[in-house]
Amino acid sequence: MKTADAWRLSAIPYSEMAFRSILQNSSNMWWGSFGRGSSEASGREDLVKRALRIARFDKLVVTVFVMVAAAAPFLPQVLGASYGISASVTLSLAVSFALIVLYGVQTLSSFVTSGPSPVLSTLPLMREDVSLVNLLSFVRTSDYLVVGSVACQIFFVSLVTGSALSGLFMLLAGAVNSVMGVGAALWLSSVFYRNLLGSKQGKRGGVLRLGLLLAWGVVVLGIGILFAGAGYLIPLVQNVLASPDALTGSILSLVYPFSLGIGVGSTAQGFALTSVERLALGGTVVYLLIAVAVSRWGMSSVASFSEGVSGATGGARNRDTSVPLHEPVTAYALKDLRAASSNLTSAFLFTLPAFETLVILLIRAFLPTLGASTILVAMTLGGMVSLVLPLVLVTTEGTGFDFAKTMPLRMKTIVFSKALISTAVFLPAAAVVYIEGLLKPLASPFSIVIPLASILAVAAASMLEIRLFLGFAPRGRATFALQEFARMAAGAGVVLLPATIYVVIYILTFNHALAAGTMAAAASAELLAIAGFVHRS
Amino acid sequence: MVDQLIEARGLTKTYGSFGALDGLSLAVMPGEIYGLLGPNGAGKTTTLRITAGLIEPTTGSVAVSGFDATKDPVQAKAQIGYVAEIPILYESLTPRELLEFEASVRGLAKDPMNRRARQLAEAFEVVSAFDTPIATLSMGTKQKVAIIAALLHQPPVLLLDEPLNSLDARSSRILKELLSLHVQRGGAVLFSTHVMEIAQRLCSRIGIIFRGKIVAEGDLDQLRARAGEKDATLEEVFMKLTNEATEVESTVRALRESFFDDEDR
Repeated sequence: MKTADAWRLSAIPYSEMAFRSILQNSSNMWWGSFGRGSSEASGREDLVKRALRIARFDKLVVTVFVMVAAAAPFLPQVLGASYGISASVTLSLAVSFALIVLYGVQTLSSFVTSGPSPVLSTLPLMREDVSLVNLLSFVRTSDYLVVGSVACQIFFVSLVTGSALSGLFMLLAGAVNSVMGVGAALWLSSVFYRNLLGSKQGKRGGVLRLGLLLAWGVVVLGIGILFAGAGYLIPLVQNVLASPDALTGSILSLVYPFSLGIGVGSTAQGFALTSVERLALGGTVVYLLIAVAVSRWGMSSVASFSEGVSGATGGARNRDTSVPLHEPVTAYALKDLRAASSNLTSAFLFTLPAFETLVILLIRAFLPTLGASTILVAMTLGGMVSLVLPLVLVTTEGTGFDFAKTMPLRMKTIVFSKALISTAVFLPAAAVVYIEGLLKPLASPFSIVIPLASILAVAAASMLEIRLFLGFAPRGRATFALQEFARMAAGAGVVLLPATIYVVIYILTFNHALAAGTMAAAASAELLAIAGFVHRS
Repeated sequence: MVDQLIEARGLTKTYGSFGALDGLSLAVMPGEIYGLLGPNGAGKTTTLRITAGLIEPTTGSVAVSGFDATKDPVQAKAQIGYVAEIPILYESLTPRELLEFEASVRGLAKDPMNRRARQLAEAFEVVSAFDTPIATLSMGTKQKVAIIAALLHQPPVLLLDEPLNSLDARSSRILKELLSLHVQRGGAVLFSTHVMEIAQRLCSRIGIIFRGKIVAEGDLDQLRARAGEKDATLEEVFMKLTNEATEVESTVRALRESFFDDEDR
């Protein structure tokens, strides 16, 4: 089969994969017959079209972000910096590699667990053709990202160096980087979804899963820090590469993606190459060969994925069928935690509020005292981030939500259980503030009330958001995203109101005690009102 | 004690311009296995999903053990064990975690529930898969887990949508025996299938559903009488009552004449 034909054919399994992925995460989110004003999705055709639209929109947004990230490291040279481009190319490659991996891992779950299209294997096609179509449908998950980031890199390298050879070399480096990124995403998806989730669950599996999630969180944060610190990193790395200390330069020239970065940089310097640059070019050849091997491995892996994951029921020695019992709210919360932790994206979100608050406090670490404004900003930001969780908790229900709908459950049980998780996730953020308060003097002793009031506000906002998500089906032509945004905005309003009241009262009276007291009263009133509303559901 | 464990009255269900149900009514008594028999798209699954409280009817109502499925869904759902045609389960959980969730939500007593869980897990041979994520299990094992979840709380009403589709012979036999025991103890089963042999052998009463309506119901003799075919099989009765006999005959004739002689093959 010709590659062009295979590419055209691959659009079908790709659409199916995108549809399955969206369907798994966003269907049946409302509580159906329990919710007032509920209705079912308006036909399968609409559902398919909507799923594909969401997938395309999602990919476009991520592509724009990746292009910006790939272009940003070239900003110093565009603005007239006189140093070489090796460090900029390296950073651009590192960031685009990491983003391709992140996006790939998050979108490949259905691909890895059940293959893009088992139907293809039943058609009279050569095994190699099926593999090629599957591989290309997999490539389609990252095509915009890869083309966008590589095009950006070629454009800026050509612009800065004015050399066609450098642009050509950048094309090669970008292609190698993309193959490596897609390959890494495939490998990570395979490890997480096939070996970890596909194996029997026990305490060891739980610890392994937690370890992997935390490692994943560190990687995500690392990328953020790398990106945020680009302005300092680029000249620093460029100096190291240009320094007479050949040893550091030689070592770096063999490390990925420095080899490629230095390689591209060397083409702009003419033909008089330094020893470091010669080493980097040698390293580039090695990584090119590795990329070829990775693409071959990817093709064979994708072919094997189309066979799906078999029922891993090998543990015939298990004789224990005991089933523990809990209160309904606890049981629902436990179920949510288990379901959410099986997905890298949703699991990492649990740690976000704490990280967020920590980052804010670290930024303010040089301040001698902990002011009310610092605590207010930290808590409000942490609270706003934690409001993503209700949406995550509702979407992780997926198609399994129909199982819950057959249970004798009241909506309030579900709302309280999910709000319990959202609020519990916010608690570390408040704890960080209290610990900070122990370590340095508070500008006002009453500002210690702020975290407590924020916890109440987050609990109230979570309940409201979840109630809105479950109680009303999406209607009309507005997109899911827009309606989800409106519901989250309602939650954000609940978090912002007590903080706003604090600010207004303080500006009017300059009295921290009164401001903190009013804030706590407002948050309590919100919690009582919304809990009452949910209780009547 | 209610006379009818399931009572559906004038159910209609429309999706846009498509009508899935068109004034369907039926009643299932204690001690009865009621088979909903109909072709694909006739409205069997929609009827079961409405009865299970998964979707609301456009008009009409369903009562389960006397509880209205729309007005009093929590009480109604407490009476029901439901198995969907394609198992609907939380696939990232293990069977043990799923049963833990279900038993906790239903507020079951620990020891009897654990005893039943063990008996059912052993009967359907899923003990070894108890700690394996459901997503990785075969379709047949998923179906067995769904059946165990439906039976765990010993509900008076079982709603089963083509439950034998993915089961092996052993599990099919066990399920059929369990259903017999269930109705002997006064329970009721509403059972959908399009396989005539299963309906004929298993069901005490059959409702033939066609284009969203029950076109005939009764035991096999009553259906034969209704169709005016004294010694006919259920398949023949079904074809007659759904007016499909002539159409099927002409289709088969056309296929016989052309399908295997197609020179473009």
